[in-house]
Amino acid sequence: MEAMLKNVTSTVELLAVAAQSGAVEQWDKQTLSRAFDWARYCEHVFSKFHNVPTVRRIMETQLQLTNQGLQAALPGYTEISFSDLSRCQHLLLVGLLNNPELPSKIMEILFDITSNGNSKNCEYPDVTGLCSRIIQYKSARQVLSPLADLSAVGADAAVQGVMLMERLGALLSQGSEVCQIEHFLDSVLLGCEEAAQHFCLVIAAALLTPKNSTASHDFLLDWLQKKDSMLQHMYSALPTRLLKDVAKEHLKFRDAYCDVLKKWASEMEYSINDRVWVQPSSTTTVSFQKLTEHFLSLFEACPSLKEDVEKELSALKTSDGDFDVRGLSVWGDLLTALKK
Amino acid sequence: MAQQQPPIQSQQTSEPLLNVQRMQFWLEKVVCWGQAGSPDIQKDICLHLRRLQGFLQQLVSHINNMSSTTEAMKSLPFLGQFLGRLCWNPYVTADDTSRRLLFQCMWGLYSEHPSNAVERKANQWIQKVLCQLATEEDNAAVQELMKRMGVSPEEYHLKVLRKMVTLLQENIGKSCSSLSNINQRCSCESILATSEACVPLVTCPEAAPLIGALLQRPATCVRAALSEDFLDALSSAYLSQGASLEEQAVVSLWYHSLSSLEGAVLSLLESLLTNTGSTPLEIKQHVAKSLLPKACAQHCSIFLVTSDIFRSILKQAEGNKSIKFLIQTFTSCFLRELALLQPQEHVSLKAFFPQSPQSLLVPLLTLPSEMPQEAWRHHLNWISSSVQRLTEEEEEGDRDSGGSTRGHHKVYEAWFLLVQCGYWVQVTAQLLVTSGPEDFGPLLWLLTFYHHPTRRLHHRALQLVHAKEAWNHLHCLFLVLAGPLPVDRLQSLLTLMSPQPQQPLSPLLILKLLVNFAVFSQQQLSRSTKILQTPRWWISLVWLVKQRVFSTHWSSD
Repeated sequence: MEAMLKNVTSTVELLAVAAQSGAVEQWDKQTLSRAFDWARYCEHVFSKFHNVPTVRRIMETQLQLTNQGLQAALPGYTEISFSDLSRCQHLLLVGLLNNPELPSKIMEILFDITSNGNSKNCEYPDVTGLCSRIIQYKSARQVLSPLADLSAVGADAAVQGVMLMERLGALLSQGSEVCQIEHFLDSVLLGCEEAAQHFCLVIAAALLTPKNSTASHDFLLDWLQKKDSMLQHMYSALPTRLLKDVAKEHLKFRDAYCDVLKKWASEMEYSINDRVWVQPSSTTTVSFQKLTEHFLSLFEACPSLKEDVEKELSALKTSDGDFDVRGLSVWGDLLTALKK
Repeated sequence: MAQQQPPIQSQQTSEPLLNVQRMQFWLEKVVCWGQAGSPDIQKDICLHLRRLQGFLQQLVSHINNMSSTTEAMKSLPFLGQFLGRLCWNPYVTADDTSRRLLFQCMWGLYSEHPSNAVERKANQWIQKVLCQLATEEDNAAVQELMKRMGVSPEEYHLKVLRKMVTLLQENIGKSCSSLSNINQRCSCESILATSEACVPLVTCPEAAPLIGALLQRPATCVRAALSEDFLDALSSAYLSQGASLEEQAVVSLWYHSLSSLEGAVLSLLESLLTNTGSTPLEIKQHVAKSLLPKACAQHCSIFLVTSDIFRSILKQAEGNKSIKFLIQTFTSCFLRELALLQPQEHVSLKAFFPQSPQSLLVPLLTLPSEMPQEAWRHHLNWISSSVQRLTEEEEEGDRDSGGSTRGHHKVYEAWFLLVQCGYWVQVTAQLLVTSGPEDFGPLLWLLTFYHHPTRRLHHRALQLVHAKEAWNHLHCLFLVLAGPLPVDRLQSLLTLMSPQPQQPLSPLLILKLLVNFAVFSQQQLSRSTKILQTPRWWISLVWLVKQRVFSTHWSSD
């Protein structure tokens, strides 16, 4: 424990040095490689102990002390929290590259500038050309992305969905408390207002990952039920094809979907001027046609649902007066549209 | 290619000089590329990628030749703007070579000890751009997500790249023959676009599965063509060992691109012919490792092209023993690969050897090991008489219609087939040792034919006489088991081998017989050694080695 604390503290100090001081001028290839090794060590420490409250508290206290000390010694120092440790290598890299006193030989190593392209066997393969590799992956992604918009979800959301499920699974298997996990999901998925649509995609992708453990999926679905606005957003923003796929896999989702559709229908009013059913002022406006499409795709996903829903709609139509005239009962018109 | 030549030489090549006009041209191009990514722009970039690399290489040398950054910037205005724009073009940064050259240019402008404000600013700008490229994310939402999930950018981008490759691979796998409704549009048009997009990715190991899938998809649809730029980029990357492809992908590449196949065959020839110290076993292993025999077995067209290349090389260097041995080794590797194929993939031998005399195909292509040793003599006698008949037909044809080329052609093809199946020639030489005076005739004829495929009738008769003489001498030399060495025999043999300009018989033939006699006769080892150690042999051998370099030409008289 003591040793671990010491190592983490030293690495944090190392990060500060890398980012700001001129001591980096003394670094060579070996030093650089060792620095990244230590950063990786910190990431490992984080992944092991971030859910162990006792250890976490000790670490956080220690870090606070270290931060204070470094702040006093180095002006312009940005604090590092315990959760930052999960991306220690990245922080090291960012720090180095932003350091105005970075020696050119370090740059040369990181970007693999001096080689002739035949650097297959070099001594420190992890740091040599590290930045060059990152840039290669990023560029390759950009080159392929116009072509890879094939699946409804997209590669980014798919990968993020998988990662989300992995983290969730790890949290559940470590026996963390429910509120902690919910807090995690809140912070990840609700963090950014503008990106709500993207996160909808991520959740859909997460729900579509192969079912190794139903526990993670169930947890996510339960969490989703509690977040009404997110749920509404999902149903209105995502393409029906995607919603159909998710509904096929998850019963809870399907039922909630059905309920929401019925709710939308009940809110609709007939506009005499336009001769269509519209939703009055509400945050998510869905047209009558879209509503019909939703119902149809839901039936496609779960044929057994069709009968039940039609029965329900019939009953509602009857309660409305059982008229066959257009514009009097949303349920009647809906039934007519669905039967076409 | 320009980028592989050292800096000094690049000025002397046909590459245009580096000047402001060319800079202007490239700058305009790069500005145009920076605009919205339509498919035309993508195509334009891929088309110009190689030339851009050449230009960047010139820039690197130019910058390094300048004494300071200030001077470099003065000599080429807009240099900074040009490089800066290139940095943000993903097609350029995805490709290994362009990225490396670009960074070398940028780095060339970095001053260790900046002497004025311009250089200081340049340093800052360079570091800033490189830092941004490596660490910034374009999507804020993604950045937040990564932070909260504790994922490093390298890991994230790598995973997304892999996912994209998998998605695209699956898409390619759906060929249009699998569509049930013929009115449905197949996705084959996207194959061309995908192959274009892969031009900068030929050296990216992560993209290798996608490239393999592109190469190996069944070519059923008319619309599913691969981009030429893609095939060119891939074959040059493969030849310079920059691309790591699976075996089947390489075979498919050769199948699609004639130039890459030719490149591979020529580079095999070059590597084997320059490595004169290799043992036959090493040569065999080298040939097998090149994947060419396997490719030939799988695709008839590849074998036909390879055979044609061998034919034309042989025409230029007829007497060259190394080339003949190489062709022989190649053919035996090829036959082995052919035998390993699944039964349903079997193509008839006729398809592989369309021009060879059909009657000789199976007899020659059967390996000696597939036949009992006692049958060899009879087998070779048959082959010898068949080929003799062909040559006689040729001579007749010559007399009748004043040199018809068809007869020549048949004999040449018979000879080429014999070269390909050179293992039978080795057996011939070996059997000549144990032959008696009554049955060496056909074998000797065959051996002579191998070394001298086309001579007119009277020449051949003379050659045969000399060959018989040589055989006689050798026979006596090695059959006399005791007593002093018949020196007069040795002398006559040496005379036959000596370098005279009108020498009708190839000394290689005699040497081959000599070696075979030494190895396979019943003679005592000490005596054989004594014969071989005659000093004059070595003079002949040296002369022979020299002769290998200046080999005789194919001539019809």
